[in-house]
Amino acid sequence: MFRILIAAALALAATPATLIPASAADPLRVLATLPDLWSITRALVGDLGEVKVATRPGQNPHDLEIRPSQILLVKRAEILVRNGLEEDSWIDPVIESSGNPRLLRGAPSVIEAVRGLEILKVRTGPIDRSLGDVHPSGNPHFTLDPGTLPIVTANIVAGLARLRPELTDRLQANRQAFLDEVATAMRRWTDTMLPYRGEPVVSYHDSWPYFYRAFGLEELGVIEDRPGVPPSPQHLVALIRRMRERRVKVVVVESWYPTATAETVARAAGARVLTVPQSPGAVKGTDTYITHLDALVTTLARALGE
Amino acid sequence: MRTRGRCSVTVLVFLSVATLSGGAHAQDADTLRRELEQLREQFATVSRSYEQRLKELSERLQQLETRGVPPAPAATAPTVPSSTTATPSTPASTGTTAAPTPRATAPTLADLARPRQPFELAQPGRGGLLFDIGVSGDFVANLTSSARERNHDGTFAGRENRVFPREVEVGFFGRVDPYASAVVRISAGEESSNGEPSSRELNVRLDEANITLLTLPLGTTARIGLMRPRFGTLNTVHQDDLPQVDRPDVLTRFFGEEGLDGESGVEAFWVLPASMYHEIALGVFNGDNEVAFGRGSLRDPLITGRWRTFLEFEEHGGLQIDVSAATGVTPDDHRTTVAGLGVKYKWIGARTGFPVVTLAAEGLGSFRTVDAAEGESGDRHLERWGGYAYVQYDVNRRWAAGVRGDWTELPVERGREWAVSPYAQFKPSEFLRFRLQYKHTEGRGAVERVADELFLQGSFILGAHPTERF
Repeated sequence: MFRILIAAALALAATPATLIPASAADPLRVLATLPDLWSITRALVGDLGEVKVATRPGQNPHDLEIRPSQILLVKRAEILVRNGLEEDSWIDPVIESSGNPRLLRGAPSVIEAVRGLEILKVRTGPIDRSLGDVHPSGNPHFTLDPGTLPIVTANIVAGLARLRPELTDRLQANRQAFLDEVATAMRRWTDTMLPYRGEPVVSYHDSWPYFYRAFGLEELGVIEDRPGVPPSPQHLVALIRRMRERRVKVVVVESWYPTATAETVARAAGARVLTVPQSPGAVKGTDTYITHLDALVTTLARALGE
Repeated sequence: MRTRGRCSVTVLVFLSVATLSGGAHAQDADTLRRELEQLREQFATVSRSYEQRLKELSERLQQLETRGVPPAPAATAPTVPSSTTATPSTPASTGTTAAPTPRATAPTLADLARPRQPFELAQPGRGGLLFDIGVSGDFVANLTSSARERNHDGTFAGRENRVFPREVEVGFFGRVDPYASAVVRISAGEESSNGEPSSRELNVRLDEANITLLTLPLGTTARIGLMRPRFGTLNTVHQDDLPQVDRPDVLTRFFGEEGLDGESGVEAFWVLPASMYHEIALGVFNGDNEVAFGRGSLRDPLITGRWRTFLEFEEHGGLQIDVSAATGVTPDDHRTTVAGLGVKYKWIGARTGFPVVTLAAEGLGSFRTVDAAEGESGDRHLERWGGYAYVQYDVNRRWAAGVRGDWTELPVERGREWAVSPYAQFKPSEFLRFRLQYKHTEGRGAVERVADELFLQGSFILGAHPTERF
């Protein structure tokens, strides 16, 4: 028995694995933690490889449950694209269970899309759970502002090119084409939203500050003032009063949240609930970044125009 | 400012020298102009040098202020207009921007001395600690008949008709270095050997202390230290994370109140590179569990193994199947082997993630050798079986209800029992949970009794965010 134990101990105490780099001919095997990063990375990778996503489109990343199938996705991936704030920190235990050390946080194969971005709503002062399930490092939904894409895509391309230098030119070309496409779309979106610039809007969950910033909307308030905790009646009463004063027309609710509270608030304030998917792919035909933003902008403009 | 002053002085000195030398030697106008031109060039060079230096220092300062968040890699990109009125989004046309991500400053002694929530200090990078701290508390109230209290044969033996802290746990966890992570859990809870007030103790113990090696060859992950072995479906789940208030009867009868835990040894596991999910875990432990094994020596170690697979049906849910075995030796040199088969199916509503329907079942077989009864020769081979099944319906994020059924034989003595336990659960938030559970148990043989019990459980978590597992 001792011999077996010694042999097992020697095998386990071996030096850290030598990671064999992929060859130029191998297609890229990229895993994105969230659907927004998946849609952006897919546009950048194009036909150079395969991009998978660890969460289902339309799934609330705040309530995510680790499933063995995610461990398998991590196991197979060569590169991980993650948000970089707390939005996808659930991926860390998945990686630790996968036996794929290339994707451990801090490894060269891990790309954090947030680097270099100006983060909104960074909490200051004492933070504890009385504030709900807050993101202490700031609001992580930055890809909803197309203005962040030059930096986000630069981060992703730089990370991919670091591991596959031979693909740099093609990745850069894909990035350029994608940004050109977004710039064209942005002119269209800006024109659509122009009549509603400065319009006050209320959200159910605090997912939209970057989107509002991009299109000049004013975030009058958030129903779920403490994330993950039901709002207090006092907060709702005050919010409804302000909504009436400012004649708010729309309450934006992500499709993964129940709408009962938002409906009550909207009814009391004379507004309407607009249920929209926060991430690409949740609704048929919106699995690219541009089609997703197209749908968001069109739906919101229509609701504000009514 | 000082740099500019130095530049001016340099220029004045150069100009004075040039003027004086011009007057003294009466050089012609062309020579003077050439010299002036040279001086201008020298001045420009000095200025450029100082500007470059200033720029470098500014960038360094900015990097230090943003504490390790480097600017985005430079890349040319077309400007994507961001129409905004209040806070303009500034997508860099050059692709580079300063990184005003949250600043983390080291706490002063006064900051550390000020009373505040422990988990605020535990925020990695914010309070100066490089690991997480989590605290969980699990309190149970147990109501039953006076007969059960007298005989101390309730589910929580010796704590019948009491409110007690079952487990209050402090956990420290994080990365040790690029190659390993570690976890340490220390828990305290009320335990009672015979139910007498004098025997009630608040025991503090080291629950778990292990390192996980993450970068071993062949995709191996290994844990070394004190841990809960990867055996079965529910055995790996901590007390406060169980789907019901109590651990299923078959696990407590075969391994003790907390299941097969507190084992020291080495465990390795692999996720096979296959199209389907297959995970294999193998462990070698001391075998300290006194109920099933208890030899407590690596000369006759406890060896555990588990194979787990998972089938994803997309919108139709997921199915997990596991097969486990644990074999070890008792202090009187008899071998005990426990084998198990677990199945868990979960269906999750498509749009909001609710309702959730969970169906789970686990069956265990215990095969052990014991001394022969008086008057008999040789050893006796005992084969005992048990299992549980439950269904849970999560109406929404806050409310859930379910029912569990138990049936098990006793591992050594003659006897068996069955139980049924309906329960309801309320979670005001992700960090606070209440449960109410009724349990009806009927035992035969060595556990002859009929027990009706009511449990009320309150659990909380302070600090690090728990990640739900399938």
